[in-house]
Amino acid sequence: MAKKQNNNVYDLRAAKDLYFEYLERGKEKKEIDLPPDTVKIDDLNKKEMLDRSYKLVDRVLEKIYTTGRPSIELPSRSATNIIWDEENDLLLLGTQIMEKQFHSLTSVADITRLMRVLEVVYELLNEDIHATKREVFYTDVNLFQEQKNSDKSIEDVATMLYTTRNSTHIVAAPKGTCVGRLRIRDRNDIIDLEGLGSGGWTISPMLDNIEIIESDAEFILVIEKDAAMMRLAEARFWRKYPCILLTAQGVGNVAVRMFLKRLSKELNLPVFSLVDSDPYGHYIHSVYLRGSKRLSYESPFLATPNIKLLGVLTRDLDKYKIPQEVRIKMNKQDEKRTKDLLNEDFIKKNKAWEEDLKLALKLKIKAEIQAFASHGFKFLTDEYLPEKLTTGDWI
Amino acid sequence: MDIRIFKKKDGGIVQLIDKEDMTEWPIELPLIFIEYIRTKQLDNYGSAKKDVETYLDEIMIDIAIPRLVSVLEGDDNEKIILALTRIEEISKKDIEMAKPIKKYLNYLLEKNDKQIVKLAQAISKNFESAERKKELAKKRKIMREKENLFLESKINAEEYAKARKDYLTLKE
Repeated sequence: MAKKQNNNVYDLRAAKDLYFEYLERGKEKKEIDLPPDTVKIDDLNKKEMLDRSYKLVDRVLEKIYTTGRPSIELPSRSATNIIWDEENDLLLLGTQIMEKQFHSLTSVADITRLMRVLEVVYELLNEDIHATKREVFYTDVNLFQEQKNSDKSIEDVATMLYTTRNSTHIVAAPKGTCVGRLRIRDRNDIIDLEGLGSGGWTISPMLDNIEIIESDAEFILVIEKDAAMMRLAEARFWRKYPCILLTAQGVGNVAVRMFLKRLSKELNLPVFSLVDSDPYGHYIHSVYLRGSKRLSYESPFLATPNIKLLGVLTRDLDKYKIPQEVRIKMNKQDEKRTKDLLNEDFIKKNKAWEEDLKLALKLKIKAEIQAFASHGFKFLTDEYLPEKLTTGDWI
Repeated sequence: MDIRIFKKKDGGIVQLIDKEDMTEWPIELPLIFIEYIRTKQLDNYGSAKKDVETYLDEIMIDIAIPRLVSVLEGDDNEKIILALTRIEEISKKDIEMAKPIKKYLNYLLEKNDKQIVKLAQAISKNFESAERKKELAKKRKIMREKENLFLESKINAEEYAKARKDYLTLKE
């Protein structure tokens, strides 16, 4: 067990070593080199976005003039075109291209929706405003019929323009919160993330308006659940251990993941995740780590490849003497999900992670972060987290 | 985007935005940033405090003042009004943050634009009122000290009455 320093404060040695390593590495500022068989996506400003839109429409017009049968080409987002880039540890989009025909009965609805979304993007860019995915759906309910159709068209438009969804000015509704040793600028205002009470700052989906201006944090902790976040916020965890806390209440949406990526990249801070000890928790960690399959084209802008899985690990349950009565038996779905995770290449390559999942499958148990409350409400903030960060007990 | 790193002796680190990134900010914002860090954060920086102070001075000299002056001394009244409106708001909340503008107020009060003059007057008024509050607090402190001394019979009634009169005159 790790030793505490004076005043019951741990010296988070292992986390600090990682922090200095990242700071040193940060000086090199290496850009990611993508493999040749993947699509390169750019984060674009308003002018660049408009330029790309004009060029795309020009190409369609040219096809109308020359062949009379216009079509649009875009990278395929099917499962077969999603590639795990081992070197950068990212899920990326391959180079398979699909063609959507204006003159085909099967794709006419699809392409009409696509062009409508492109029109919406054009309006948003021109007025320099943002809209949520829900608002886009309501611009033409008859055409989109269901929000999943407009959502798909939004992603298609982003891939078609080889850009991130954020560059289209279409954003998801705010979901995550952030609190701790961080100061940001939101257009004309300076926001102090230590001074917003325990509720914290709601991560703005309009991240192009946000700039990181000051921090004296030494690490970032991503928390799966609101309840755990509340526990840490109430304990003012960041005062004792200089850090930034962030939660997305489940899987991080685009804004949360992009904000985390920026924090990690710009401040060169180590990032840790605290999730439930169950396959869903591990999946959430994996999405922060290497991106989701659905948004694989944006992975370089959304994934945080240096994030460490701090807990709750299956092996922690015995190590921290979590009572049997707060451990939960895995159901069939949990077992299937764990097996699916174990089949992923990125897990097979990470032995410690694979071992922990195999242990969970063997014991057929899972546990929530809240299970630590069985040792008292302050156990998580005063013992578990500091000790793990001191000893470097993470995956 | 770049970040300036300041190391503390205890192993901690303070990271601040690079001053070059502030060239695109609204003109009053670098000033707000400097005052914000000075008043709210600097005391937490431990051994890095001195280096950060030097950096803040650098921002003031290289970015904040030249940008503000270029607008206030320029001919674009719209830009001046925009800047003064924000500075007036800031001066109401925290007069210290508006300090760098003080020496330009006389120049602005002579401008031929009613709105600029009106805003400059409002900012001047906020400075005067802050100055008065400061003076009043000083006199109140002196008066209380005299009051204690008077109760302990260490000064005479005349001396106490003088301090009381000074305080009340200023208060009115």
